Parts: sequence; C-alpha cells; structure tokens
Amino acid sequence: MNSYGNTMPKSGSSSSYLPVPLLIERVARLTEKERLFKLSANGRAFTFDPGQFFMAGLPGYGEAPFSIASGSGKAAEADGSFELCIKAVGNLTNAIHRLKKGDTLWVRGPFGRGFDVNGSSPLRGMKGRDILFIAGGIGIVPMRGLIKTILGDRESFGALTLVYGFKDPEGILFAGEMEDWKASGMAALLTVDKPAPGLSPLKGWKGHVGVVTTVIPGLEINPSKTVAVIIGPPVMYRFAIKSLWDKNIARDDIYLSLERRMKCGVGKCGHCQIGGIYACQEGPVFKLSELKDMPDAL
Amino acid sequence: MEKFSFLSNKEFRKLVEGLTGSFTVYGTVRKDARLSAAGDGFPAYGRISCFEDLVLGLTPTHLSAKEFLFPQRETLLKFDIEKMTHAAVVEAVDQVIIGLHPCDIHAVGLMDRVFAYGKPDVNYLARRAKTVIIGTDCMPDRFCFCKSVDTMNVDAGFDIFLHRVKGVEPPQGAGPPQNGFLVRTATDRGKTILSKYAKAKKASLKQLDEIAAFEKKREDSFTAHIDAPAGQLPEIYSKSDESPVWERIGAICYGCGSCNNVCPTCYCFDVKDEMKSNLNEGERVRVWDGCTLEDFAKVTGGHNFRRTRSDRLRHRFNRKFNYLTGRFGALFCVGCGRCSRTCLVQINISEVTNELIREYNAKKRQ
Ligand SMILES: Cc1cc2nc3c(=O)[nH]c(=O)nc-3n(C[C@H](O)[C@H](O)[C@H](O)COP(=O)(O)OP(=O)(O)OC[C@H]3O[C@@H](n4cnc5c(N)ncnc54)[C@H](O)[C@@H]3O)c2cc1C
Ligand code: SF4
Ligand code: SF4
Repeated sequence: MNSYGNTMPKSGSSSSYLPVPLLIERVARLTEKERLFKLSANGRAFTFDPGQFFMAGLPGYGEAPFSIASGSGKAAEADGSFELCIKAVGNLTNAIHRLKKGDTLWVRGPFGRGFDVNGSSPLRGMKGRDILFIAGGIGIVPMRGLIKTILGDRESFGALTLVYGFKDPEGILFAGEMEDWKASGMAALLTVDKPAPGLSPLKGWKGHVGVVTTVIPGLEINPSKTVAVIIGPPVMYRFAIKSLWDKNIARDDIYLSLERRMKCGVGKCGHCQIGGIYACQEGPVFKLSELKDMPDAL
Repeated sequence: MEKFSFLSNKEFRKLVEGLTGSFTVYGTVRKDARLSAAGDGFPAYGRISCFEDLVLGLTPTHLSAKEFLFPQRETLLKFDIEKMTHAAVVEAVDQVIIGLHPCDIHAVGLMDRVFAYGKPDVNYLARRAKTVIIGTDCMPDRFCFCKSVDTMNVDAGFDIFLHRVKGVEPPQGAGPPQNGFLVRTATDRGKTILSKYAKAKKASLKQLDEIAAFEKKREDSFTAHIDAPAGQLPEIYSKSDESPVWERIGAICYGCGSCNNVCPTCYCFDVKDEMKSNLNEGERVRVWDGCTLEDFAKVTGGHNFRRTRSDRLRHRFNRKFNYLTGRFGALFCVGCGRCSRTCLVQINISEVTNELIREYNAKKRQ
C-alpha cells in the first residue's frame, strides 16, 4: 500500500487538463457535415502514429477525442501541422464548425496507442504485408492517416486494398484524394449502404451497393500475408470480423480502432474502460487477439 | 513491531483542538438526527470546527471520505474566452481527515495508485500530499466484509491510528478510569503532529491486552463474508460473464448510481464546462460519474456499449474484483459494504459474489 510520500506530485509535473492553443491554418468543407481543419503546430514538435487522437475543445463547449487524419513518418508535414476531420453531430462539434481560418482550437495530446506500422510495439507490425483497409463512415478519418503513412513508404508494403462503405454517395469523404491513393498503388472499392425502401439516397451512384461485408467475400486475399484493419461505426465490427474469419485471417492479423466515450484522455475518467484495458491508453488501436474475454469490447 | 503509546481523552481533545486551529479538519459526525431511527443521527463525514463535532463511530459512514481528496465537483481549468486564456487550477489546502477505518485507509491507497498511475493527476495528488489521515478502529455491521478481502488491518497509509481503550485506573487508584486511545503512527508527519499538539504516554501491557481483546472480538463479529480466498476472485469473476446473476440483479436495479457515489474506490468522472453569466469566463470541471448510469458508455450516434443494467452491474462488479487487479495489483473492493448498505433494492455485493463463487465451484466439479 502506498503512503502519501510515494504519490507526491513530482516537481514540475503539470495539470493533465491544460490544453494548448493551435491556430487553424485552413478549413475545408468536405460535405455538409464534415470539415477538415488544418492546425498549425505553433512551433510544437508533435509526433504521432496514425490511429492516435487528440482531445480538442473550445472553452464553454468542452472537449472530445478526434483522430489524427494526417499521415506520419515520411508522410508527415515538415512544419508539424496536422489535420482533424470533424463531423458536426452535437454541441462541441457544431461549435467547432463555426471556426474559420485564423481561429484557435484548444488541444491536448496526442493520446493513445496508434497503429504499429513499423513493428516497434508488441503489435506485430505491418511492413512487408498486404493490407486490407475496411472503413465505414467517419472511420475513414483515422484510416486516412494510416493510408497516407503507408503510401509514404509504399515499397515497404505488399498489395493495398481499401474497402470503404458509407450511407450516402454525397457523404463520401476524401473522394478526390482517393484518386491519388489509387495512382500510388492502392485498390479502392467503394460501396454505399442499401437504401431503406422508399428512400433513395443513391443519387446517381453507379458503384457497388450493400454494406462493406458484402464486398469482402469477393476479394482475393492471401490470409498468411494479409493484415486487415477495421475502423467504422460500432455495428460494423462483428460483421466485418466474421467475413475476415471466413477468409481465414487470424485474430492476430486483424487490427481495430475502437470508439469509446472519453473524457480525460489520460487513463483516469473510466469511461473508455473495456474489461481490464483503457481504450485511451492501451488503444484505441487493438489487435483482435487482445480483446478476448471482454463481453463489451465489440 | 508497531509502537503504541497512550493518549488520554484529555490529550486527544488537545490534539483535535490543535489540529482545528491549524488545518481544515474533517471527521466523522452524526447527521440528520431527526431522520434516523434511533434519533442519534447517521454516521457521516463533515467539517470539524470544534472537538464536540467529532463523533468517532464504530460502524462505517454512509458516504466515504473520498470527497475530501476527490471532490464531487472540482475545477480543473479556468478560462476566459475574450482574453483567450486557460489556466490550470490545482486547489489543495492543509487538511486532516479523522476517523477513517482500515478499509477506508486501504481505499485511499487504491485511489493514490489510480491517480499516480501513468500521467500523474496533479489535482488529486496535490490534495493528497497535504492531507493528514487519522484512522480509528471499528466494529463490523452486517454489511462489512473487509476480513474477506484482506483489508481488515492497516500498517501504512495513515499518519496516526487510534485504538480506543477504557478503564485504565489512574496512578493513585483514585478518580474515574482514564479513557483514551492507544495510538500508533506510520509517518514522520504523524509523529510530529502527535508530539506537537498532545502528550502521549507509554502504553501499559493491560492496555495492549485490551486492544488485542477488542481486535479478537472484532474478528469474530463478521456476519458477511466472501466464500473464496481474495486471490481467487479475479479468476472467478473472469469466468462469470455468462452467469444468470447479472440478469437477475439487472432486472431489479434502478440504475441510480448510488453504489458508485458511496464507494470509496469508485473514481470515474465526467468533465464539462460551466460558464459564468457574463458568458465569457468559465470553468472546466470534473464531477463524479457512475458506471451504473445509463449514458456512461454511450457514444455519439447513440450506440451504448453497456446498454442494459445487467451489463452495467457486471461491469461495476468486475471493476471491483477483476478488471483493475492486473493494473494496480489489488482488488478494488475494500469490503466496506457501503454499496450494499445504500442500495434501495438490496443488491448485496458479498452475496452476489458468493453466488458467483457457488456457480464457479459447481462448474468446476462438472
Ligand atoms: C478515439 C476517438 C476518435 C474519434 N475521432 C473522431 C474524428 O476523427 N472525427 C469526428 O468527427 N469524431 C470523432 N470521434 C467522435 C467524437 O469524439 C464525438 O463525435 C464527439 O464527442 C461529439 O461531441 P459533441 O459535443 O459535438 O456531441 P454531442 O452529441 O453534443 O455529445 C453529447 C454528449 O455525449 C458525449 N460524447 C459522445 N460521444 C463521446 C465520445 N466518443 N467521447 C466523449 N464524449 C462523448 C459528449 O461529450 C456530450 O456530453 C472520435 C471518438 C473517439 C473515441
Ligand atoms: S445502488 Fe443498487 S439500484 Fe442503485 S445502481 Fe447501484 S445496484 Fe442499482
Ligand atoms: S464495492 Fe461496495 S463494498 Fe466494495 S469498496 Fe465499494 S462500496 Fe465498499
């Protein structure tokens, strides 16, 4: 048991909750709901892995976790700037959407464990392997960071395939960039959810129709060479995992980024706890094999 | 060997009065006399401004002492929107908490680990560093089960610990028996405080016998218990996800969060912004949250990772006996019985645990 002596704050240690102001260099409207904010590093040397997140907020509106949408490693911006893609869903995110170039966003981070692209962490690493990216909806945001990082070092990886599902053809994110990704040697299969009867959000869409799991069975996959990455809305995971198992991909080779409510980002507030782990510390990126015996993980 | 010395009631009064003169003092009191059945109030913690306020109870308080280290509402930041400033707020005053029982002292030790782990939480730790803890002995009621989770005794985590003694004849054999306490200290700070404000004498063998007899009686008085060794509970809980127990208690639970509030080791919190009426200045505050509350694990889009009350109780119980043990090296239930005592529908944590143990053993025999 600790006596108070062991837990005295180390001198110089500071509040975990104090954010830093970052200048918004650019705001790009991607869709009606999503905007991409480019944040200047203001001389701070942020280093991060794809899949990590920042807590970003505005005084009076609170803060929330947002994934890093930029690439790292060779794909990182030389000036340390990075992007967050924010979907307007509520109080804070709508307030952030009202910000313009030159305004300030308050951030803390980066937090969490991201993707182990280089194999430096206990995750097995992704170099030399075929990579299957499975993104649903806003899940394309952290996936973009990962894709850019991997494309920045294209020769180190095998075949790259993106399966990206969304609800509404007008809601496709990064459609323009996707052409560049394809040109750099990544296959991209886009699919729109089947519209509910009576609704027709297809809006002239000529591509594949159906949830992402309807695309996976048709893919040619070498299970011993492939790492699959799933990021999407909570409902997507179980079905996507099942279709990967049908392709004989091992639990160790399936990576997931899990969304949880997060209030502190530093492993204290308890909201993101899944079994014995904190999604903000040991995650949000996990290998499926790490999530055994956790009834509420997926 | 622990060193005991004797503090007469008179000297104890001097100690408390000395402390109230120099520190913010909290301690055990009796509250709401009119509402309590016996008319003498409920055991609770409160501000002690004079010696008479302090009532050292033998049974646990309804709420724990965690609010003095981890307040129910706490300012983390102050901000000014026009001036574009954020300032960290770390508030800590020299304070003393008197009357913690061994389970509560163990609970503070667990909170210390939680807030020191990883990136240290300066708000908690600054307050903790300035907090003097004075513990006292106790007697179990029908909910207490510290004996089953190895938190019945403490030899660290407090500054001063008080064992009640009575009936010691004064030297001349005249006058009333001299009641008081055998005291032990676990820190230099405790020693300093004790010698600064009061005069302790050498403990007599008779007094030592008296507290040994009291401790024996205490040990024999437990009616609530857990029917498996404490070290086995993480394993038992980890095999209990499919137990019908969760459905059953989930069906009666109100999801009120009282069990989280009263628990000395429940530390989850929410963070939110509060604006002043000038709509310019405001504070980012943290407030207690509870994993039994409906929205606790809900994310944007409405998905709730623990939708049912059964899910949420399974989570809370596992946090006490399984989920946190790996990270912090201890059970997170100290057996104070507060959650069982407070629960409106009599969900009793030791009984629920025993049910899981029975199921576990039955499965093993199969
Ligand atoms: C690791 C991670 C990465 C994320 N990345 C992105 C991203 O790149 N882009 C994006 O648009 N969204 C992302 N999100 C989701 C984003 O955090 C939520 O949409 C955001 O919290 C909504 O806040 P709001 O106040 O606008 O919404 P509201 O609907 O007003 O929120 C309602 C309440 O729920 C709380 N809440 C809901 N979900 C969360 C959550 N996940 N964490 C904390 N509190 C929550 C809010 O704080 C508030 O109290 C991510 C979430 C996580 C966990
Ligand atoms: S105190 Fe009882 S009713 Fe309330 S949330 Fe806890 S278990 Fe449920
Ligand atoms: S879980 Fe219940 S018995 Fe255990 S420490 Fe918390 S309040 Fe006390």
